[in-house]
Amino acid sequence: MNSRISHHARLTVLLALSALAAPVSAQPAPVGTPPEKAQACAACHTITGNSTNPAYPVLAGQTFRYLYLQLQDFKAGRRYHPSTDPSVATLSSDDILALAQWFSAQKPEPTGFMPDPVKVAAGRKKADEVLCAMCHHGGFTGQNEVPRVAGQHYAYVKKQLEDFRAKRRTNDAGNMTSVASTLTDADIDNLAQYVANLN
Amino acid sequence: MFNRRTILMAAVAGGIAMSSQAGAQEVGMSSTTTATPMASSLVPVTDAMLRGAGTDAKNWLHSNGSYAQTRYYPGAQINTRNVGKLKPAFVFQTDMLESMETAPIVVDGVMFLTTSYNHVFAINAVTGEEYWEYKHKMGPITTYCCGPNNRGVAVAGGRVFMGTLDAKLVALDARTGKVDWEAQIADPDKGYSETMAPVAVDGKVLIGTNGGEYGIRGFVKAYDQNDGKLLWTFNTIPDKGQEGVWATKDATGRDMHRDIDAEKAALAKDSSFYQTLGGGVWMAPAVDLKTRTVYFVVGNPSPDLYGAIRPGDNLYTDSMVAVDLDHGTYKWHYQYIAHDVWDLDAVSAVILTEAKGVNGKMVEVAIHGGKTGHVYVNDRATGKLIRFSEAMIPQENMWTLPTAQGARMLPGANGGVEWSPMAVNPKLHMVYAANLHQPMTYQVEAAAYPGGSKLWLGGSFKTIASEQQWGRLVAVNLDSGKIAWGVKTPQPLIGGVLATAGDLVFNGEGNGWFKAYDARSGKELWKYSCGAGVNAPAVSYMVNGKQYVAVAAGGNNQIDFKRGNSVFVFALP
Ligand code: HEC
Ligand code: HEC
Repeated sequence: MNSRISHHARLTVLLALSALAAPVSAQPAPVGTPPEKAQACAACHTITGNSTNPAYPVLAGQTFRYLYLQLQDFKAGRRYHPSTDPSVATLSSDDILALAQWFSAQKPEPTGFMPDPVKVAAGRKKADEVLCAMCHHGGFTGQNEVPRVAGQHYAYVKKQLEDFRAKRRTNDAGNMTSVASTLTDADIDNLAQYVANLN
Repeated sequence: MFNRRTILMAAVAGGIAMSSQAGAQEVGMSSTTTATPMASSLVPVTDAMLRGAGTDAKNWLHSNGSYAQTRYYPGAQINTRNVGKLKPAFVFQTDMLESMETAPIVVDGVMFLTTSYNHVFAINAVTGEEYWEYKHKMGPITTYCCGPNNRGVAVAGGRVFMGTLDAKLVALDARTGKVDWEAQIADPDKGYSETMAPVAVDGKVLIGTNGGEYGIRGFVKAYDQNDGKLLWTFNTIPDKGQEGVWATKDATGRDMHRDIDAEKAALAKDSSFYQTLGGGVWMAPAVDLKTRTVYFVVGNPSPDLYGAIRPGDNLYTDSMVAVDLDHGTYKWHYQYIAHDVWDLDAVSAVILTEAKGVNGKMVEVAIHGGKTGHVYVNDRATGKLIRFSEAMIPQENMWTLPTAQGARMLPGANGGVEWSPMAVNPKLHMVYAANLHQPMTYQVEAAAYPGGSKLWLGGSFKTIASEQQWGRLVAVNLDSGKIAWGVKTPQPLIGGVLATAGDLVFNGEGNGWFKAYDARSGKELWKYSCGAGVNAPAVSYMVNGKQYVAVAAGGNNQIDFKRGNSVFVFALP
C-alpha cells in the first residue's frame, strides 16, 4: 500500500548491488565523491559507512530518510550518544542532506558476524510473531523513515533494543519503545542475532 | 485528521510519503502530446464573479462552489426527470496514477484540475483537450500523513493558486501555467504540508495547513494575491489559554471521562507544549463578506491518542472558529470535543446557510459534519450550538478512553464524516453528508515529541478485521436535525457531495460507481462505473447552454481504494 515505484526501484537496485558486491571485497570503493563533512565521520563509521567497530552502526545502504532524521535528532538532542554528539551538532540542514545522501548511496558490506544458529532461529520466530516486517519490510531491508537493520552489527542492534525498552532512546515516536516494551533479554539477544545475520 | 487500518501501516505509509525526493519538474506537455492554444474565452476572474459564484450556473469558481460552500449548483438542466440519460462527454486522463481529491474549477469553459504530487492541468471543459500542465518542482523534504493528495486550486484575476506538499503556495498564470510567484508557507521539516484548496477572496488567498499528526502548530494564513506577501496569520493554538474551560462533556452532552485534577497538575508543571499541539485546518474556509468573517474548523490535537502530555481543552482543536477577514483576529470559537484522544476531530468544510433557530425563526448558521457522525448547526454570529443531528452512523461506548491494549469504540477514527465536503439544498433545507463506518480500537502509547518529521500518533488505530465496514450517504433536515433519508453503500464513503437545483445529489464510491440520487427521497436515479475509486467531490458547470457534471476518479490513499488518473465529465446526449 502507498508505495511509490521509484522507492522500490531504488531499494531493489541497492540490494542487487550489495548482493553482487558482498563476496568480492571487504572494503568497497566509494560510490561517487564524499561530501567534505563525511571525513569527520570516517574515524568511526569509515568513509563508506561500513563501520568495523561493532559499537558504531553501519550507515552504508541505510535509507536516506532514516539517516536524515537521525542526524536531525542528534543535532536537536532528541537522540544522544557521547561519541556522535560533537561532530553532528554543528551540521547544517544542507550538510545533513548531503551526508544522508552519501551514506545511503554506499554499498553495505557483510560485517563478518558469526551467528549462533539456535538463537537466529528463535529470533526469526520472535520477529514473525511481533510483525517486525510490517514496518521494517521483509528481511529488515527498511523503507524510508523505518531503518534497514539487516546486516547491522549485533552489538549495536542489541544495545538499541535495550535502549528502546528502557526508554533511553525515545526519538522513535513511540513505535519501537512500544514494540520493545514486551521483549525479554533473551528475545533481544535472539532478535539481534537474527537481524545481524541477514544481508 | 488521521486514520489508517493499523499503526504498522501508518508508520510505513508515513515514511514512504515523507521521503519523496522529486526531481526537477516544470510546466510542459509530455513529448507525445501537443498543447492546444489556450481558449480566447478565458477572461480574468473578477471579485464580483467570485462573490456571485453561488448563483452562477456557467462557472464553478470555488472548490466548494461559493464562499458559503454549499456545493449547490444553481442550474437545473440536468434534473430528476432526465438524469437517467446522463452519458460521459469525455474522460480526461492525467499522467499521475495516484489518489485524486480534486474539485475541478471551471472558468469560461476552461477547467483547472490537480493531481497527487501537485500537477495542475488546464483543459477544455467541453472536449477535454489539454492547454497546459504544471508539474510542481518538489523540495527535498516533504512530510504528510494521508497520501500525496491535492484538493484543487483557487482562481482570481488571471491567476491560479495551489498549496503544495512541500508547504508552499504557488501562483500560476492561468493562461500559460507559468509560475508567477511562490511563497513558503511553513517548514516541511516540522511536519507542515498543504493538500487543501485555497480560497481567493478580496485580494487575498486564504490557506490552512496539514500536520496534526506531526506536532505542528496549526494556522490559517492570508497572502496577497498579487505578490504572495503574507498579510496575516491566525494560530489555531493560542499563545495563552489553550486549556479553555476544562469541559467535561462534548457538544452533545456526553461525558468524556477526563481526569481534570490530573490534567491541571500536569499543566502546572509544563505548558510549553502549545507549540506542538497540532490543530491542522484541512479544508477551504467559508467566507461571509457581509460581516467580513472567515469560518473554518480545526483538526485534532497532537499527538492524536496520547493526551497525558497535553493537559487542557486544547483550544482551538476540534472546534469551529470565526476570524476577521481583514486582520485574521479571533471572533469566536465553538469546541465540539475538548481534549480529544480519539482523533474524532473536525475536518469537513464549514458551510454557511440558514436554518430554524431555537425560537423557530430562520437564522444564519454555520454548519459542520463531524467525524462523530453528527451534523452540528452553529449560530453564525455567536458560534452557539443550535442543534446537532441524529447520529448518521452507529455510535457505541462513547467516550471510552484509549488503552494500552486497545479499546473498541464507534465511530472509528475516520468518522462519520471525514474531509468529504457536504452539500446543501437550500430549497429543501437539507444537507447531504458522505459517512464512513469503520469499527476500530483506540490504543494509546506514551511518546515524546519526535521532532516534526515522524508520524506522532501516541498510539494506534486498528480496524477490527471481523467487523464489516460500510458507508452511508445521509440527508439531514437542517431545521430539525432529523435524518430524512440514508443510503447504505458497500464501502466507506470519502470524497464529498454535490447538490443541484435539479433536485439531485451526486456522490461517488470507492468501488468506482458515481451515482445520482433524488434529493428528496434518496432514490437512486442514475449510476456510472468509472473503473477506479470516485473519492473526490463532483462539480457542475455550463458551456454554450449545456450543463456538465465533472468528477475525478483517482481512488483514495487513506482507505486504499483503487487508484485511477481520470476526470469524468458527463452531459445529456
Ligand atoms: C567518535 C565516533 C563517531 C563519530 C566520529 C561519528 N559517529 Fe555516528 N555514531 C557513533 C556511535 C557510537 C553511534 C551509535 C549511537 C548509539 O548507540 O545510539 C553512532 C550513530 C550514528 C547514526 C545513527 C545510525 C543508526 O542506525 O541509527 C548516524 C546516522 C551517524 N552516527 C552518523 C554520523 C555522521 C554523519 C558522522 C559524521 C558527521 C558521525 N556519525 C560521526 C559514533 C560516531
Ligand atoms: C510499528 C512499526 C515498527 C515495528 C513493528 C518494528 N519497528 Fe523497529 N523501528 C521502527 C521505526 C520507525 C524505527 C526508527 C525509529 C527512529 O526514528 O528513531 C525503528 C528502529 C529500529 C531499530 C534501530 C535501528 C538503528 O539503526 O538504530 C531496531 C534495531 C529495530 N527497529 C528493530 C526492530 C525489531 C527487531 C522489530 C520486531 C521485534 C521491530 N523493529 C519492529 C518501526 C518499527
